[in-house]
Amino acid sequence: MKAEISPRAKVALYGVMCVLLIPFVFPTWWMVTSSIKPISEIFAFPPQLVPQSYDWTTYSKVFELQPFVRQYWNSAYIAAVVTVGTMIISSMAGYAFARIRFPYANAVFMIVLLGLLIPSEVTIVPLFQMFLKAGMVNTHWPLILIPIFGAPSVFATFVMRQFFVTLPAELEEAARVDGLGRFKIFTRIALPLAKPALASVAIFTFLHSWNLFLEPIVFLSSAEMFTLPQALTQYTDAYGGPMWNIQLAAATLTALPVLIVFIIAQKQFVEGLAHTGLKG
Amino acid sequence: MADVTLSDIRKSYGAVKTIHGVDLDIKDGEFVVLVGPSGCGKSTLLRMIAGLETITDGTLKIGNRRVNDLDPKDRDIAMVFQSYALYPHMTVATNMGFSLEHRGAAKTEIAERVNWAAGILGLTDLLDRYPRQLSGGQRQRVAMGRAIVRNPQVFLFDEPLSNLDAKLRVVMRGEIKALHQKLKTTTIYVTHDQVEAMTMADRIVVLNGGRVEQIGAPLDLYDRPANQFVAGFIGSPSMNFLKGRITEAGFQASGVILPLPKSINTVIGQAAVYGIRPEHFRLSDHPSHTIVPAEIVLIEPMGPETQVTMRLGETQVTGVFRERINGAPGEVMHVAPEVGSIHLFSEDGGTRLN
Repeated sequence: MKAEISPRAKVALYGVMCVLLIPFVFPTWWMVTSSIKPISEIFAFPPQLVPQSYDWTTYSKVFELQPFVRQYWNSAYIAAVVTVGTMIISSMAGYAFARIRFPYANAVFMIVLLGLLIPSEVTIVPLFQMFLKAGMVNTHWPLILIPIFGAPSVFATFVMRQFFVTLPAELEEAARVDGLGRFKIFTRIALPLAKPALASVAIFTFLHSWNLFLEPIVFLSSAEMFTLPQALTQYTDAYGGPMWNIQLAAATLTALPVLIVFIIAQKQFVEGLAHTGLKG
Repeated sequence: MADVTLSDIRKSYGAVKTIHGVDLDIKDGEFVVLVGPSGCGKSTLLRMIAGLETITDGTLKIGNRRVNDLDPKDRDIAMVFQSYALYPHMTVATNMGFSLEHRGAAKTEIAERVNWAAGILGLTDLLDRYPRQLSGGQRQRVAMGRAIVRNPQVFLFDEPLSNLDAKLRVVMRGEIKALHQKLKTTTIYVTHDQVEAMTMADRIVVLNGGRVEQIGAPLDLYDRPANQFVAGFIGSPSMNFLKGRITEAGFQASGVILPLPKSINTVIGQAAVYGIRPEHFRLSDHPSHTIVPAEIVLIEPMGPETQVTMRLGETQVTGVFRERINGAPGEVMHVAPEVGSIHLFSEDGGTRLN
């Protein structure tokens, strides 16, 4: 039975929650409202939480100043490919580490996990050299290949392995008696049951790719190839100063899909992370 | 349906030997129960028959085929697991039809077989439910349905009732037995519960430490256990054992002389173990040489019978009497062991002497 909370405690609790909400909600509110303010209002003092006048032209300028649709598409398809690729690789690798007995499995898993400890800033220069030799600079390949085989995928593999370890062995034995081979057991039994873990892998992989910044600015040089986080930095005037309201309009458009995904999938996201490793 | 033949089956994990050569002929349609304490190797043996564990040495035949190296799916067996192992993301109908679907059976045939099995097991109304929506007994039935739907040569049961409460266990025990009588499929059933073994089996195989102690019909094992282990394992409450020596006057245990049958093939003076089941004591008022004094330790009235913990000489034993007994702990009553029903084992318990 849930412990009953007294009304007074409830009020206090909601009060604390409201205060805690400010650092999370205020930046988003500021971004959205400032995107439709004239630039003078953004810097007005005292700050204006609600815009006094509206300037919707900022949104059309976002598309005029840069090939924003193209850049949107770049970010979207790269994130989609990375997400699907990571889900495939991490679920298979996680299953193998959890279920298939092969020599030095644990040692290999440890080595794989070590990949999480290396900051991307350390590997970016050698990676650049590598992709330069392969003729892949100023293409999207580095932005796809690095996350799929790099740290995000390692983390995803870890999450999937922890899930598959907890899957009862008898389920697989029953499937073997029912006539399934290893691969079919994976696709028909293990994978459908791994949906919560897969959902959380999908969400954080998508977010990681969507927000990727270092790799795009290192590997991409032409505006048509840019991804959104990189494109945001390009809304500057002739002197290199940011055009705040246009930049915030672009930022609002960039944040939109992430907010939508999170609102739709937040239950799976929280459950997936909470259950992974705990589910019996 | 098929015979199952185990010849000198052995299992070892590296240097650790767990099954030390098991020979067993199971006849077509027979219900054989493997029973023994935990760690005796009964589940390992069953899993070797299923193909879930490799066979280190020996020959396993199902029908006339040697199946040692075949995958579980090629052995034509079906197994019911302790945890039922139902696929949580599939409905009852899909769970039951899954193996047929995987073997490429036509949809109509799958539906027909699933409906047939559901009809037998009373699952017809539950076919669209998911395992999480079922009670323990219903899940157990679905697990059996999944096994029978394919009409395999052999059913394997791995402690299928141990997750159920006592009352349901008795009901399901009856259902499994009835199912076997209907389908007459060769069945190998593993349990640690000797009551299940006694009530269900055509033949019981008692295992201990990876070795077969005795194979036989339930009542044969009960009436003539081959050694002290089987004698103590089969029967509840279990058989009483008294250590002592065979003398002219009877069996000399510490502090008491117990009567022996007239003709036994043992030497006077031989050390032995005297075994007597709790129900083979009779209450008696007439003193004679076959009657021994028993000091009451504890009286437990069960209703139809009375269970008495009592001291014969220095050994504490259990007696079960049809009579209702009034007495206080410390009082002495007189009991007569039924000499025709006693068991004598060698001093180490390894062999039967009478």
